[in-house]
Amino acid sequence: MRYALYRAAFYGGLVALWHVIHASGVLPPGVLPSPYEVAEDLAFGATEGGLFYGIATSMWRLLAGLGIAVGGGVALGVLMARSEAVNQTAGSLVLGLQSIPSIAWVPLAILWYGLTDAGIIFVVAVGAVFAVTINTYTGVRNIDPHHIEAARNMGAGGAQLLFSVLLPAAFPHMITGFKQGWAFAWRGVIGAELLFAFLGLGHLLYAARSLTDVSYVMAIMLVIMAIGLVVDGVVFRRAEDAVMSRWGLRR
Amino acid sequence: MKIEARGIRKGFRSGSHSLEALGGIDLGVEAGEFLCIVGPSGCGKSTFLRIAAGLDAADGGSLLFDGRPVSGTGPERIMVFQEGALFPWMDVQDNVEFGLRMAGLPRAERAEISARYLDMMQLSRFSRYYTYQLSTGMKQRVAIARALAMDPDVLLMDEPFAALDEGTRNLLLGEVQQIWARTAKTVIFVTHNVEEAAVLGTRIAVFGSRPSEVRAVVENGLPRPRAAGDPGLGPVKAEISAALGGAP
Ligand SMILES: Nc1ncnc2c1ncn2[C@@H]1O[C@H](COP(=O)(O)OP(=O)(O)OP(=O)(O)O)[C@@H](O)[C@H]1O
Ligand SMILES: [Mg+2]
Repeated sequence: MRYALYRAAFYGGLVALWHVIHASGVLPPGVLPSPYEVAEDLAFGATEGGLFYGIATSMWRLLAGLGIAVGGGVALGVLMARSEAVNQTAGSLVLGLQSIPSIAWVPLAILWYGLTDAGIIFVVAVGAVFAVTINTYTGVRNIDPHHIEAARNMGAGGAQLLFSVLLPAAFPHMITGFKQGWAFAWRGVIGAELLFAFLGLGHLLYAARSLTDVSYVMAIMLVIMAIGLVVDGVVFRRAEDAVMSRWGLRR
Repeated sequence: MKIEARGIRKGFRSGSHSLEALGGIDLGVEAGEFLCIVGPSGCGKSTFLRIAAGLDAADGGSLLFDGRPVSGTGPERIMVFQEGALFPWMDVQDNVEFGLRMAGLPRAERAEISARYLDMMQLSRFSRYYTYQLSTGMKQRVAIARALAMDPDVLLMDEPFAALDEGTRNLLLGEVQQIWARTAKTVIFVTHNVEEAAVLGTRIAVFGSRPSEVRAVVENGLPRPRAAGDPGLGPVKAEISAALGGAP
């Protein structure tokens, strides 16, 4: 509660400082719009609907890409953890590919898919998949061997072992992977849309830049930040808390 | 299920360091027998149980169940792990029903079985608790309930009563004897507690220190039901203690 007050005061102060700098005229005109102009652009974007359409477009691309990344990453991570042959071969490739920023996949995506949704989804998926893979691998590797032994002793094998023991036991690590994957995916989708210049929040940003509309650029950046905060700080925080306390990893 | 172990050897190697845990265990367990194993810490009791459960392979020797070698593990030989090995992502009841679910039993039947054994372990109130909400002794009781629910031919119990208070332990000593008498299961029960061994065992195998062999097998024909503190246990306890304390 006290920190909520601090936080309100902090952001209030930041906006006030912004206003003072803008009003003082120390910066050349056109560099820093007033907070009021940015708020106005936000309101305009919201009422006119373009902003929501942009958010929805970026979100569905993100969810499609992240969905592919989660499915593929979990499968690959489990395979790597359970088979040393896969780990020694595909594992090193995963580490290498992980070091490629998602934006660097854009040229290839455009060549392969053209300026389409599929291209952007590809960039999102490939940017997020390795974080999911690596965390799933770590999670499965760190399972208490007694849990696997007890399960096998009680007759679990194959798919039963996978779904009843390996995945739930690795889940606390996996959710960290999903969180990292989401972060890569969110950055990836905005970046890809900037370069694809094809709908979405990233494209709005690009369009506003073309019109040298500084306040609209800032308004969209605020939206990107706010969505990031909500997903990280609310959705993933809650999910992680629930998992950690259920698994007895935190009281 | 009759179990015959002949010359079971098992060593562990870590880097250049190697350690001979079981130096040749010869042990026969009749079908329906309650065999207790006692021995100094680190002598290889858990290792022997793991081999019997099919979780580890022996380096040498032979192990026959009803005259046949068995490879791998299976639900007819259920191990109660010294560490409990409960699944933290499941509540108590789901833990107890795990093996039943793997075997494809319908929900109602599973619920009936788990309710019976949770009641026996005095855990009915805690069926929806998660493992981090349980004390060590409660976890051990859940682990016992989970094993009993499987209704295995062979029960391999690794110090399952180690963390129990005297009251609960005495109660479970009674329950385990009853279940054993009723179901004719073959039980191998590892314990550090001489009294426990004397109460439970039809025979008590005393392991020597590493590399361990069976140092003595104490026959125990005392009438049942037996309870901790029975004065009649005295001679059997003395015999076990003598075997434990004897020879280096
Ligand atoms: N996986 C392993 N790797 C290396 N050494 C092991 C392993 N498991 C057991 N040992 C060693 O084998 C010996 C026997 O271990 P074991 O757990 O069977 O003893 P124990 O008789 O059950 O002891 P306690 O009564 O303390 O439970 C010990 O010296 C231990 O260090
Ligand atoms: Mg042990």
